[in-house]
Amino acid sequence: MSIKKTRKVYVAVGVTGLGLLGAASLWARPPFTEQQLADQQQELLAVVNHGRDLWHGSNPEMSKNGLACGNCHPDAAASNPQTFPKFVPQLNTVAPMRDMINWCIVHPQGGKQLDVNSADMVALEAYAVYLYRGQKLQPGYTLPTPPDPVKSGVGYPAKPSGIGVDK
Amino acid sequence: MSDFKDMSRRRFLGFAGQAGMATVAARAIGVNLGLVEILSAQTGKGAVTPFSFAIITDSHLFSIPNHKFDHSLADAVNQVNALSPAVDFVMYTGDIAQNGREDQLVKGKKILGNLKAPLKVIPGEHDWYLDMGKAWNGLFGKETWSFDHKGIHFIGLNSILVRDFWTGAGMTPEQRMGTMEMLESPIAGPWGVREAQLEFLRNDTKNLAANTPVVIFTHSPLWDYYPRWNFQTEDAPQIREILSKFDHVTSLHGHVHQTIYNKIGNLSSMGALSTSWPWPYPPVTLDYPGSQMYQSDPANTKDGMGSQVVSFDSSASGLVQFEPFANSLTPFLKAGVKV
Repeated sequence: MSIKKTRKVYVAVGVTGLGLLGAASLWARPPFTEQQLADQQQELLAVVNHGRDLWHGSNPEMSKNGLACGNCHPDAAASNPQTFPKFVPQLNTVAPMRDMINWCIVHPQGGKQLDVNSADMVALEAYAVYLYRGQKLQPGYTLPTPPDPVKSGVGYPAKPSGIGVDK
Repeated sequence: MSDFKDMSRRRFLGFAGQAGMATVAARAIGVNLGLVEILSAQTGKGAVTPFSFAIITDSHLFSIPNHKFDHSLADAVNQVNALSPAVDFVMYTGDIAQNGREDQLVKGKKILGNLKAPLKVIPGEHDWYLDMGKAWNGLFGKETWSFDHKGIHFIGLNSILVRDFWTGAGMTPEQRMGTMEMLESPIAGPWGVREAQLEFLRNDTKNLAANTPVVIFTHSPLWDYYPRWNFQTEDAPQIREILSKFDHVTSLHGHVHQTIYNKIGNLSSMGALSTSWPWPYPPVTLDYPGSQMYQSDPANTKDGMGSQVVSFDSSASGLVQFEPFANSLTPFLKAGVKV
């Protein structure tokens, strides 16, 4: 085979390969449709909103002295979900955020701790994590601990619930 | 004492260290810095007789009997009563109650009634929005006032007034109060003192000489610290403009539940420790980051709380000294801060 002919074969194979790749990417099913993604986000925000209400005292079982998470942690400030799991001195062990939430419910709030797998606990975590979205994961305490930023955590669409909304 | 004036970061850190050592030494021998300098003297036209007063704030009392916040307020009262020399008066800068209920305000008045010194009070939003100040006014009188004391002009304003968000929404008084209770609720919008009190301020200060030392009390800060949490007063620029003729104005406020200093023009500002709970510092860059206390320990129910003493010397120089319930202060803050 002449050099010219060989080149033509290589080009043909290359073009065919690229064509097949392109076709494959067209045929591949994306993980979710845009509608599915929107629905999922709506589900998440509903849970975040429920968490926001719980954070501000909507479950009376969580407090026997009137205090709610939001009293000490407005906008979930200083809750730092991005630092969990970490060693929690109050619990004397490395613990996930939900254990710290339960510690706060039982001690500063004098309430009854939540089932760690309950929908309410998931909602509380969802609220805090959502407000800290975009923060770098950083397990453990940092010294000196900086003032807790919530600047990436403000603003999400929410239906007015009577206890405060963002937009 | 600690002074932010003309302080570069390097000088600031060095000074903070020295101030801390001085305080440790002074406290070890039972001397309360600043108060030992109190002398009766007069200087120049703006004659000031040195004295001190205390600030207690943000007790957030619940209706629940024997609540831990009742004890915290009582602790602050005992702290202030034990001061030597005694303070001339005690200023309460708002939020006696948590839900604005009359029984909460009555309880607060009863605990504060154990103070040996006279009490002056302004309201916070937690005192106000259940009945729009009716119970508060009945118990504590007018929320806007001024008086002169030993050469200093004192002013108290109600800075938690918001536009009517409840009538159109058909809210009950409880819903209105609940909305105001949530720090980060944007429904209520920004707080302010509004035109009637601005007019009071204009009239109150128009005949005062420029060298009159002025101290102004509000619940919220008179600068844009963090508006999202109403760590601001919407018409603070107008307040600062009215007071701009004075050589120096000291703004002392509650609401922020933390030590925080700022200075704009002739107005020095300092936030106060609450007796209920400390708030985290919001995510803003501060001109005076050295005025921040330590991050509080949630396992210590008294950390980040307390009362404060403000003393003025004969040159009308003010010194704020914090009296925390726990070890919450940096060495710089322990020395007291000039305002």
